[in-house]
Amino acid sequence: MKEQLRELEERALNELAAVADLTSLEQFRIRYLGKKGELTSFMKRVGGLPAQDRPEMGRLANLLKKDLSERFQTAKEELGSRVKRGADSLDLTLPGREPVRGHVHPISTVISEVCRIFSRMGFRVVKGPNVELDYYNFEALNIPRDHPARDMQDTFYISDNVVLRTHTSPMQVRVMESQQPPVSVIAPGKVYRRDSDVTHTPMFHQVEGLLVDEGVTFGDLKGTLTSFVHQMFGSGTPLRFRPSFFPFTEPSAEVDIQCVMCHGAGCRTCSHTGWLEILGSGMVDPEVYRFVNCGPDRYSGFAFGMGIERIAMLKYGIDDIQLFFKNDMRFLGQF
Amino acid sequence: MKLSLNWIKEYVDIEMTPDALSDLLTMAGLEVEGITPVGHALDDIQVGRIVSIRPHPHAEHLTVCTVDTGRERVDVVCGASNVAEGVLAPLILPGGKLPNGTPIEAARIRGEESAGMLLAEDEIGLTDDHSGILILDADALPGDRISKVLGFPDYVLDIAITPNRPDCANVIGIAREIAAATGQRLRRPAIHLESGGPPISDLTSVTILDPEGCPRYAAGLIQGVHSGPSPFWIRYRLHQSEVRSISNLVDVTNYVMLEMGQPLHAFDYDRLRENRIVVRRAGAGETFTTLDGQARTLSPDHLMICDGERPVALAGIMGGLNSEIFANTENVLIESACFDPVTIRRGSKRLGLSTEASYRFERGADIEGVLSALKRALSLMHRWSGGTIVQGLIDNYPRPWKPPILRLRTGHVNRTLGASLSRADIQYLLQGLEMEVEEADANDLSVRPPAFRVDISREVDLVEEVARRHGFDRIPLTYPRVRPSEEGDAPELRLQEEVRSIMTGVGFSEIITYSFISPDSADILGVKEIARPFSDPSGDCAAEAA
Repeated sequence: MKEQLRELEERALNELAAVADLTSLEQFRIRYLGKKGELTSFMKRVGGLPAQDRPEMGRLANLLKKDLSERFQTAKEELGSRVKRGADSLDLTLPGREPVRGHVHPISTVISEVCRIFSRMGFRVVKGPNVELDYYNFEALNIPRDHPARDMQDTFYISDNVVLRTHTSPMQVRVMESQQPPVSVIAPGKVYRRDSDVTHTPMFHQVEGLLVDEGVTFGDLKGTLTSFVHQMFGSGTPLRFRPSFFPFTEPSAEVDIQCVMCHGAGCRTCSHTGWLEILGSGMVDPEVYRFVNCGPDRYSGFAFGMGIERIAMLKYGIDDIQLFFKNDMRFLGQF
Repeated sequence: MKLSLNWIKEYVDIEMTPDALSDLLTMAGLEVEGITPVGHALDDIQVGRIVSIRPHPHAEHLTVCTVDTGRERVDVVCGASNVAEGVLAPLILPGGKLPNGTPIEAARIRGEESAGMLLAEDEIGLTDDHSGILILDADALPGDRISKVLGFPDYVLDIAITPNRPDCANVIGIAREIAAATGQRLRRPAIHLESGGPPISDLTSVTILDPEGCPRYAAGLIQGVHSGPSPFWIRYRLHQSEVRSISNLVDVTNYVMLEMGQPLHAFDYDRLRENRIVVRRAGAGETFTTLDGQARTLSPDHLMICDGERPVALAGIMGGLNSEIFANTENVLIESACFDPVTIRRGSKRLGLSTEASYRFERGADIEGVLSALKRALSLMHRWSGGTIVQGLIDNYPRPWKPPILRLRTGHVNRTLGASLSRADIQYLLQGLEMEVEEADANDLSVRPPAFRVDISREVDLVEEVARRHGFDRIPLTYPRVRPSEEGDAPELRLQEEVRSIMTGVGFSEIITYSFISPDSADILGVKEIARPFSDPSGDCAAEAA
């Protein structure tokens, strides 16, 4: 008898586990717990047992009846509430939904980083017009008409006196016109040149910097830009200051960093020189002070400018500058 | 500009490797953008002497040359038309390899055995000439290595010249910088003029009607020259500097320009009407055919070189078709002049015509170097093409150069650079650049820069030279005292940053588009097109109207 009861229990529990709706749950109740159900008839058969076995078997059968009745109730409640909520039932095992993440353009990221580094040194961030007077873009920067230095920049002329600025350097003049030294500013922005290939786009970005005060030296220029390079490209990045020419600075220096690809061994990126040019800089030329009414006898200063696309290309290993402006999400999504 | 290193070495001793030299020049402000080895795979090429020549029995254009290799005689089939008995030429024997890697084997050419190959210049990889085999100087010996005979290996340096340093756009200018940086002596070319015949004033004259445009015009005359090809090493050097070889007469002018920086022009003396030179402004609408065959319409921006009747050259830019040197030219007038940089720049821009000459004149030529370049050209033309140099030179110099005398304050140098140089240090550094330096008073210097340094007219220009010579890398790093500003960053920029942060936070991505729009879009927007600065054939950047 005990064996039969165990077998009955096992069958009933298996069947209950497989129940998926209220109809089959009712069938389960009738089959086991109903008046003619299997458990009911089992209990009737307990009466025919020898007297000494009856109490024990009766107790076990009652326990089972109580257990199945409770389970039945629980299942009934659960199936009932599931029907009420309909098909959108909560499934806690589903994977979470990823929030849509926006991407900052790599050019903006680099500009922010450059500005952050100089801000921390005490430079203020300013902004200037993209459509600029020839005066600010050239004349006041000591690049008169008919000067070969104009060849260095192929210009978009809007009219005889208005250009799309070819560099952010006009900001040097605009800032010095509007305030007396001490001046320490950086000016990020778009610039324009008639050029288009894998390393040139007709529009690109520069950050200009200017510091003018009493007693500023070329050594200060070296210190400031060395600190910038180390913060931007990693401390210990080898760099060098190489004599160069800009009409609005003298002495002028190009800043090269050791090639980030080959670490100075020489590769295609650095044209086998081991160095990459990343900054133009120099001491503000006395001619420029002449245009802004601030005396070179009392003040001295340095200016610098850098191409943001070039820095972004080096930092992220991008070999085609056009990618920055194609706005392909497969590209932008990587940043 | 590209220059042969062996050429530079004629004027200064260089004991360092090409890589070290390239670093030295770069750190002196003359950035070396490339070093190309030339003539480094010539081991298998030797000198051979053509002993005898017979026609190829089965091919009209070929000959069979018996060649003395220095050890034996071999037969070589050759297609060049300039083979001649007794001449020396580069030879490669079976088993050797050409510089481009081509292996040479003994072969039967149209039925005749050929045990090697006589070589043209392009096959040795030295110039692009393939007009015939390279005929070597008679003092070479059969069996000698060709690299020894021709002075190889060599390197070609590609040097970026900044607009302020036209004095370095030539071999001697570069050699001068190397000499200053290494403490070596600069060796200028020795010039010997053996002149004869009548005095030049009997044969020609120079009249300058516009002394502002042409502050100096010198001329020399050489008679009875023979036009022909230039010697190999001239053509080699011109080729490496990307200047085309024309003839021994024309090549002289380009060679001296590359060597000394002075652009020269050679006229056929007999094609100059009245055999004289007049320098004047062009009239508005005047037309002139330059030697490239283009008819040009001129304006008063242009300066003309004329003969007694008509223009013969566009001054400082290009010569004219009507007076150029040709194969039968016998008498040559060489022009060595100095023109106003702005005039040349405007004239060149207006025509969209930029030449090696205009490049140099618009940046500023060495007005004091005019005569030495003229003498150098006359002596080389005499050496390469014979003739007689007419006695004397014409030197019309209406606006003599006045050397600027600049005061240089020792304290100012150190205050600007953040250095601590003594006056003696500064004096030494500037003297290395051929400046005349004297003590002005107890502290300062008085400096007279040479005429070729057209970039030096102010004290700050000298400060730069001191820094450059001393070495930028030797100026110690210091940090400026930056005074905090009362103003904050530009408000638009802060706003931009905030918008960017919010929008990317809610899932938008930032794009950057060109500031340009296409004419079609402008029409839709009703925007008037004010300039048409750019068009992009690929269409990738819609960039037409600003």
